[in-house]
Amino acid sequence: MSVAVQSGRGVAAVRSQRWAPALAALLALLLILAAAEIVIDGAAGLSPLIPKSPDIASWLGGIGERLGYRVFLIALLVSTGAYAGLIALARRAASPISTRWAIVLVAALQLIVFAGPILLSTDVFSYIAYARMGVEHGLNPYTHGPVAIASDPVFQYVGHDWELVATAYGPLYTLLSYPLALLGVVGALWAMKLEALLASAGTLALVWRCARVRGFDPVAAILVVGANPLYVIYGLGGAHNDMLMMLAMMAAVSLTLMRAPSARREAGAAAWVVAGALIKATVAVLLPFMIVSKRRLAPILGTVAALALGALAGYAAFGIHGIDIVAALNRDAAFVSTDSFANEIAHLLGKPGVFPVDHDLLKAGLVLILLHLLWRTWRGYDWVAASGWALLAISVTSTWLLAWYILWPLPLAVVTRDRRLLLATLAVQALFIVHQISPLLAPVQ
Amino acid sequence: MSESAASEAALAADEERWRRLPSWLRPRTVELKGSGNLWLIETTLLVLVGIVLATATINDVARQTGINHRLIADLKTWRHYTGHDYHNISVDQETLGSASQREVLCGNTSPGGPKARTQLCLAIWGPVVNGRRSVHGGWYLPPYAEDLPSERYGCFGAAAQGRCPR
Repeated sequence: MSVAVQSGRGVAAVRSQRWAPALAALLALLLILAAAEIVIDGAAGLSPLIPKSPDIASWLGGIGERLGYRVFLIALLVSTGAYAGLIALARRAASPISTRWAIVLVAALQLIVFAGPILLSTDVFSYIAYARMGVEHGLNPYTHGPVAIASDPVFQYVGHDWELVATAYGPLYTLLSYPLALLGVVGALWAMKLEALLASAGTLALVWRCARVRGFDPVAAILVVGANPLYVIYGLGGAHNDMLMMLAMMAAVSLTLMRAPSARREAGAAAWVVAGALIKATVAVLLPFMIVSKRRLAPILGTVAALALGALAGYAAFGIHGIDIVAALNRDAAFVSTDSFANEIAHLLGKPGVFPVDHDLLKAGLVLILLHLLWRTWRGYDWVAASGWALLAISVTSTWLLAWYILWPLPLAVVTRDRRLLLATLAVQALFIVHQISPLLAPVQ
Repeated sequence: MSESAASEAALAADEERWRRLPSWLRPRTVELKGSGNLWLIETTLLVLVGIVLATATINDVARQTGINHRLIADLKTWRHYTGHDYHNISVDQETLGSASQREVLCGNTSPGGPKARTQLCLAIWGPVVNGRRSVHGGWYLPPYAEDLPSERYGCFGAAAQGRCPR
């Protein structure tokens, strides 16, 4: 009897070995086709999903049709389904996906999106506008909104909501973006796209390295991050500076995971976190976890030195406003987006939206979560996992939730032993995608 | 001395230094064992939060879908009422109250770009019957004008009472 059962299992295993590579190839193909569909249709222009932009993808024009919500959402859902299937296959003991094919797939997805128009967000034009304000017009982007350069060619592309808003990004990012302003609007746009692509490649290389050091399958790790539909379509598609922030974050994690840790490396890791925070402040949340976990002087010294250097450079370039990141964070924390969970819960409770008191409740909830995570880290819990939970908690409790915010914990989630973090991150991303589908159920024309 | 050897020596010195501290202050390579319930409590809380977020998301999708159905009926009503199959029609959900499910739809009275011609605004509410809702009045706007009380003229119907300055 048991021999028969074993033999049956063996046959099933052999069959599964046979169809798994074909299924993986099919899912990879679906991911590529869905991304290509969005990019090619997006290049046709005149779409509510494609921001007004200089014509950088006209060479793809004429192949597709105008990108509407229906096609976009179907492509997004197909991507998500294919991604889920691919991840399930990649995480099996006998993965049918070879290293070479995983790298080819991830590279293909990134290059397809790189070649196309800016997707789903006007943020990159704000980055360019802030750079041009400083370089071309001699204005401080920390004290003026893009409206101050209304005659500049980039102004027409800046999102309506951001015309009056001074930059909320760190001084390091603003200084890094300054040379790009000299390239003109189209040149700067390509440079921003290239910067996001290279940052993504760097992040994936570091994810690979960290996964291998920690004994995880690096192929599954880079597939989870690099083939993620939100990462590819929203993050890279919008050329968001979150990609740079994640690169700095993973550089820090990578340094602490060296086989032979040293004070210099730990100080360097802390300095990388500070550098990330000087790009986008959110990543600073990693520092307390790193410091509590290491309990050495080196990360504190690294933090102080990098912060002093960054503050000095920020102050020299932009004055006191350039280093007042707290004010910028407070301002942005007051915004409310339709996709935020806080807004959804308000609707569930019969309220029209989020009230000021809700902001306070959410902040209190976030502080409690962070304190719990710090306590766990003090007791020896993995600081990388704690940092991932902290980033996830920040995005879930934020009233201003955008797709690229729920990417932050993903590279950390694939290099930690607490599998709940990866599940929770992917579940939050899945809910975000589900929240987009109402135009598919009732298309308004 | 090679870098790795130096690093190992530094680590050994580091370890020695930590031994002088009480155990609760030393860095840990593994997490302290608790009562065993912490993981369970955390996971239970995570599942509960997940259920709340999933419920809120599905509720919001249903709510948005409902709003979209209403807007589809409103657009159909405007096109039926005016006899124009235009697509550049603006929908305002604030003028008659954001939670009232009463909308004001404005569109051109002759072919042209968005708001480029005299616009006809209709106040629409009520249940959806045969894919349309009822028109309870309206007003006109000059070309390129926003729907502000000072711009309105030719008000008609019960919904427009007191909304026109002239």
